[in-house]
Amino acid sequence: MDYGVITFVSSSGAIQAQKVLKGQVPFQIMPVLREISKGCGISVRFQPGDLEQVRSLLAGSGLPPEEYAFYGVTGNGSHLEAAPLP
Amino acid sequence: MRIIDAKGKACPMPVIMAKQAISEGETAFTILVDNTTAVGNLQRLAGNQGFDAAVTEGEGVYSLAFVKNGDAPAPAAEDAAPAACGAGYSVFVGRDIIGSGDRELGTNLMRMFFYTLAQSDDLPRSILFMNAGVKLPTEDEQVIEHLKALVEKGVEVQVCGTCLNFYGLSDKLAVGTVSNMYDIVSQMQAAAKVITV
Repeated sequence: MDYGVITFVSSSGAIQAQKVLKGQVPFQIMPVLREISKGCGISVRFQPGDLEQVRSLLAGSGLPPEEYAFYGVTGNGSHLEAAPLP
Repeated sequence: MRIIDAKGKACPMPVIMAKQAISEGETAFTILVDNTTAVGNLQRLAGNQGFDAAVTEGEGVYSLAFVKNGDAPAPAAEDAAPAACGAGYSVFVGRDIIGSGDRELGTNLMRMFFYTLAQSDDLPRSILFMNAGVKLPTEDEQVIEHLKALVEKGVEVQVCGTCLNFYGLSDKLAVGTVSNMYDIVSQMQAAAKVITV
């Protein structure tokens, strides 16, 4: 996996998650990939090595677990694959 | 020697006419145009097709003498041609969020706009920041990162100096060049279209 993304059911969830992650792990926000196209249009991109930390930050944030989902993305441009992370 | 009369032709016709001659195997020809935009576009075409193009001007008519110079055409010459001709597009950013309404949503949309633009194959020739838009290349880390990637790919980023000064951000510019109304208007005029965000 080249990078991880978190998708959200709602835009407000996406905005709330950014507040949780800010200053803790480096991240960027990006439009939800067409390959995923689930949830609201905002997703959070993070480095693969930060997966566990991102997971635990969100788990401890009060954001309901059904509000967000993790994907691993490999490749770039038109050749990319996104797979749900368990 | 063949003389192509492209006077009075709007862009992209002069470039198309020159390309036509090149594709027919012409190694030396002259093309006549009547505006400096066409001169610039034709010179770029000459450059990426391996031609010299000496310009002479008289009574408002520019004559470009295309002569093959032995340089190999640029590999991306085909792709470069539309950009050279249409003069591409500019993006004008006059505010720090996209749209009106919720600021947080607008900030998210702006960051995603630049993320998507930086990943795109069809890049603007320039991105122009004015008024509260100047807060992006100074204070928004995510947008700054995307802008740096765009600059690396050859996109011109111009930031209004008056606006930087007004917001007390003059010493915080992280990417792009401090610009002024003259240069920003020139960029708009040179672009085939301007997208306002």
